[in-house]
Amino acid sequence: FMRLAYLIGYGVEIEKSPVNSASLSMLSWPKPATWPSIPPDSSAEVMAKEKTILQAKAREKLFDIQRKPLPLEPSSLLREANRRRAFLSVGNLSELYDSVDGSGLGAHSKLSPNKSSSNLMTRTMSGPATSETSLPVDRPMRLSEIHVAAEHALKQTISDPDFMTSLSSPEEFESRYMELTKGAADNYHRSWWKRHGVVLDGEIAAIFFKHGNYDLAAKSYEKVCALYSAEGWEELLADVLPDLAECQKILKDEAGYLASCVKLLSLESSLFSSKERQAFQSEVVRLAHSEMRHPVPLDVSSLITFAGNPAPPLELCDGDPGTLSVAVWSGFPDDITLESLSLRLSAFSSADEGLKAIRSTDARVLVPGRNIITFDIPPQKPGSYVLGALTGQIGKLSFRSHGFSQDGPVDTDEFMSFEKPTRPVLKVRKPRALVDITPAVSSALLMNELQWIGLIVKPIDYSLKGGILHIDAGAELKIEESQMIEIESYRSDGEHSSPIDASKVLSRPTDTGRVEKVPIENGKIKLPDWASDVTTLVWFPVRAINDTVPKGTSPASPQKHSIVDGMRMIALKLEFGAFHNQIFERTIAVHFTNPFHVSTRVVDKCNDGTLLLQVILHSEVKATLHVKDVSLDLQAGFEHLGKGDGRPTSSLFPLVIAPSSKAGILFVIRLSGTKDLDELEQADSMLHIKYGISGDRATGAHSPVPVKPDDSEELLFKISLKLKRPVLDPCLAVGFLPFSTDCLRVGQLVNMKWRVERLKDLEEASLSDDEILYQVDANPQNWMVAGRKSGHISFSEAQGSRIEIAVTCVPLVSGYVHPPQLGLPDVGDANISCNPAGPHLVCVLPPTLSTSYCIPA
Amino acid sequence: MASTACFVIVSKNDIPIYDAEVGSAPKKEDQAYQHQFILHAALDVVQDLAWATSAMFLKSVDRFNDLVVSVYVTAGHTRFMLLHDSRSEDGIKSFFQEIFLNPLYLPGSRITSSHFNTKVRALARKYL
Repeated sequence: FMRLAYLIGYGVEIEKSPVNSASLSMLSWPKPATWPSIPPDSSAEVMAKEKTILQAKAREKLFDIQRKPLPLEPSSLLREANRRRAFLSVGNLSELYDSVDGSGLGAHSKLSPNKSSSNLMTRTMSGPATSETSLPVDRPMRLSEIHVAAEHALKQTISDPDFMTSLSSPEEFESRYMELTKGAADNYHRSWWKRHGVVLDGEIAAIFFKHGNYDLAAKSYEKVCALYSAEGWEELLADVLPDLAECQKILKDEAGYLASCVKLLSLESSLFSSKERQAFQSEVVRLAHSEMRHPVPLDVSSLITFAGNPAPPLELCDGDPGTLSVAVWSGFPDDITLESLSLRLSAFSSADEGLKAIRSTDARVLVPGRNIITFDIPPQKPGSYVLGALTGQIGKLSFRSHGFSQDGPVDTDEFMSFEKPTRPVLKVRKPRALVDITPAVSSALLMNELQWIGLIVKPIDYSLKGGILHIDAGAELKIEESQMIEIESYRSDGEHSSPIDASKVLSRPTDTGRVEKVPIENGKIKLPDWASDVTTLVWFPVRAINDTVPKGTSPASPQKHSIVDGMRMIALKLEFGAFHNQIFERTIAVHFTNPFHVSTRVVDKCNDGTLLLQVILHSEVKATLHVKDVSLDLQAGFEHLGKGDGRPTSSLFPLVIAPSSKAGILFVIRLSGTKDLDELEQADSMLHIKYGISGDRATGAHSPVPVKPDDSEELLFKISLKLKRPVLDPCLAVGFLPFSTDCLRVGQLVNMKWRVERLKDLEEASLSDDEILYQVDANPQNWMVAGRKSGHISFSEAQGSRIEIAVTCVPLVSGYVHPPQLGLPDVGDANISCNPAGPHLVCVLPPTLSTSYCIPA
Repeated sequence: MASTACFVIVSKNDIPIYDAEVGSAPKKEDQAYQHQFILHAALDVVQDLAWATSAMFLKSVDRFNDLVVSVYVTAGHTRFMLLHDSRSEDGIKSFFQEIFLNPLYLPGSRITSSHFNTKVRALARKYL
C-alpha cells in the first residue's frame, strides 16, 4: 500500500523512519517491465505534482539535528522508471541521467541547470518540456510525470473502489495508513510482539505530530522511547528521542523536556555531533535559569556520576570535622556552572537516609570529565558512611544524581544498574579515649611545703594541638601561680630527662630532652605545640595545707591517724580537639605527709627517778632526710636533766635518715614536782626538728620549690608528744630473800624471809601511816605456817630504811607448789615494787622415807 | 562472504551487549539504522520461538525482503543474532558455535574488548 502510494507521489507524506525505510528500501519496485507513459491532457496534474514535490521539504528537527534522511526507495525511482522505457538504449542513458538528475531531483533546491546540461537538453529535446501534450519518446520522464503515469495506470488496474479512494488524495492515503497502522499495532500488542507494536505506535505519533496533535504524539513517542531506553538500543533511541523532546517543548512540559535533554546528553557521544550535544546542554541551562512553572528536581544520574576516593576511607574521631574529596564526572559537552553542590552520606548499616546533605563551597564550574570536589564535613555521629546521593542546583533548577561509578577507567558498564556502593567512604570512630592524664608520682609529698606535682599527659593517636589544661585544686591545696609550669617530654620506658641536668639536654639535640616553662593563669595552662603529639610531663607547684599540729605516739597513746588526712584531690580538665569540643576530665588524688612520724618510749628508769626517753623518728617519705637539730619542749610535770637546753644527750647531728627508715634520739628527763593534776592532764610536749630533705620530685617528696630567692633549705617540723607520768609510783619495795637450804622437803621446817624497804621518804610517798600491815598468804593444803601470819611493822621514815620479816613454814605436799606470799594490804599495788621478786613456784621434795608421816589421801 | 551482515549479541534482559557490522560491503550509515531496527524487531519473534523449542540454533527466524535474521540462543538465554542476506546455513551455525566458545565475557556487561572484536571479524570472514 505504501509502495503504491509512493509511486503515485504521496511519498512526501511517509515519515522517513527506520521502520518505513527498512520496509520500503528493500521492497523492490513492482512490475511492469515497461513503465506506463503519461496519458494525454495531464499537464495540469503534472504541474500539481511538480508543485507538491517543490513544496516538500525535510521536516526540521529540533536542536538542528542534521541527519541524512533514510531512503524509502530500493533504488532511484527516476532511474528505474526511465530504465523501463523500452526506447532508450543503455548507451545514452548515463549522460541523460547526469543531466536529468541535476534538474529532476534537485528541482526544489532551485539550482539552475548548467549550460552543458541545457545544451544537452536542447539537443535531445525537441522543445520546452512543460507544455507538451505528448511526450517525445526519447525524453526521459520527470518525477512528476512518473507519478502521474503510475496513478493513471493504477486507476485502470485497481478494481476495489475503497482501495482506490484511499489512493486518490494524500489525506485519504494518510487516513487509511493511520487506520492500518493502528490496527497492526493493536494486533501486535495483543500477540505480545510488543516491539513491533511499539514501533508502529511511533509511526502513529509522527502522524499526530504532523497534524499538530502534540499531546497524543508525545504519548506515543514516550512509549517508543521507553522501550528503546529500557532495552538499551541507543542508536534507535537517538532517532526518536528528539521528536519526543520537540513535542514536550511545544506542550511546555518542562520536566519532560528537561528529562529528554538529559537523556540525549547521556547517550553515547558518538551518536550526536558535539554541536548537537552543546545544543542539548544550552537548552538545559536556558530552562534552568528561566522561571519554570513547576520546578521538578531533575534526575541526572546518568550524566553526572560520582565516586569516592579509591584510598581507604576517611577516619575521623567522634566530634571532629574533616574534609572529604569526591570525584565527580560530568557528561556535559561543555563546562557547566552549578549554583551549589551537596553530597548526602548515609550510614552503612541503617536504612535511613542518614545525614543531611553536606554542602561544598558555593558556585562552581564542572568541566567535562573528571572533577575533584572537596566537601567540609561537620562533626558526625560514630558509624560507617557510604556515599548517598549528589544534589545541587543549576540556575533555579535543582538536580540529583544517584549515579555511582568506579574511579578510573570504567571496564564494565552495567547499563542503568545503580547498585549501592558497599565501600564506606567515611568512618567516624566511636568515642574513645583520646588522651590520658595520670599522676607521675604515687608516693607522698611533703605537707605544708611547696612541692612539684607531676602529670603525665599522653595523647592516644590524637593531636592535642591548642589544648588547654585546667587545674582545679581542691580544699586545703593551693597552686602557687607565681611560679612557672615546667613541661618536659616524657619517655615511657620509665626514664625521663631531668630538667636540671643540663648536660643531658645538650647531648640530645632532638627534642627528647625538651623542657619548656609556661605560665599558669587562673588554673589554666596552654599546651605548647610541640607537646601535641608526644607524651609530656607537666610539673606544677602546690602547697598542701594542714594547720593541725601532728601528734606523736607512745605506748600509752597509740597511732590512730588515717591515710585520708594526707590526701588531696585535684580536678583536671583538658579541652582540646580539632573542633575544640573534646573534653577530658579526671580527678586525681595526691598524698601528702609529714616528713616524720614520732613515737616515744621510756627505755629505762633509774633508781634515782631519771627517765631515759627514747624519741624515734620514722621517715615517712621516699627521700633522704637530714636532721640538723632537735629540741624538746617538755610539758609540765617533766624536766630535762643535763644541759637543760632541751637537746638530746649526745651530739649526733647531722643525722641522716634513709628513706622509710628510722632513727632514735635519747633524752634524759625526770619527773618534776607538781601537784596540779589538771595541768598535768592537758599538757603536751613539743618536739622541734630542723631538717633538710634531698629527694627527686619524680620519686616522691623533695626539697621545696624556692619561691623567694632567699628561701633557706632548712625546714622546721613541729610535733607534739604527750608524755604520761608513770602510773607506777613505788614507795616500798618488797623483796624475797633466798632460802637457807637448797632443797625443801615435806615435813621439814623452812624459814621464809622478806625484806621491806622504803624507796621514798614518808612525806613524799602517798602513805600516811608509818605502821604498815603485813600479811602472809599461803595455801593451807600445801603449807603449814608456824608463827604469825599477819602483823604490823614500823620502821624508819627515811628513804632506804629496811626491815625483815621472817615466817616459818612447813611444806605439806611434794612437787612444785606456790610458796607463801607476803602482801601489804593497805598499800596500793602501784606503790609496791617487788624487787627482788619472790619465786613463782618452789620445788618440794618428798619426805625421807619414813612411816611416821602418813598423809591421808 | 556475505555482502551484508550485522551481528548483535543480546543479553537475557534484552540489552544489546555487542554489535558489529561484519559484512564485506562498505558500511552505509542508513543501513546501520535499518539493521538495528530489524534486529530489534526480530527479538519479538525470537522470544516466541525460543520457548517453543529446545534447540539452540534457531536458523532463520525472520525474513525482511532479502535479508534474513538467524538466531542462536544459549543456555543462559543470551541471543546471538545475525542479519545477513541468504546464505548457507551451516556456515552460520559454525560461526555461532565458535563465538559461543569465546571466553572473554562478563555476564551482563557490554563487550568492549577489541580482541573479541577482532576474533569475531576473523570468524565472520572464515564462515560467512
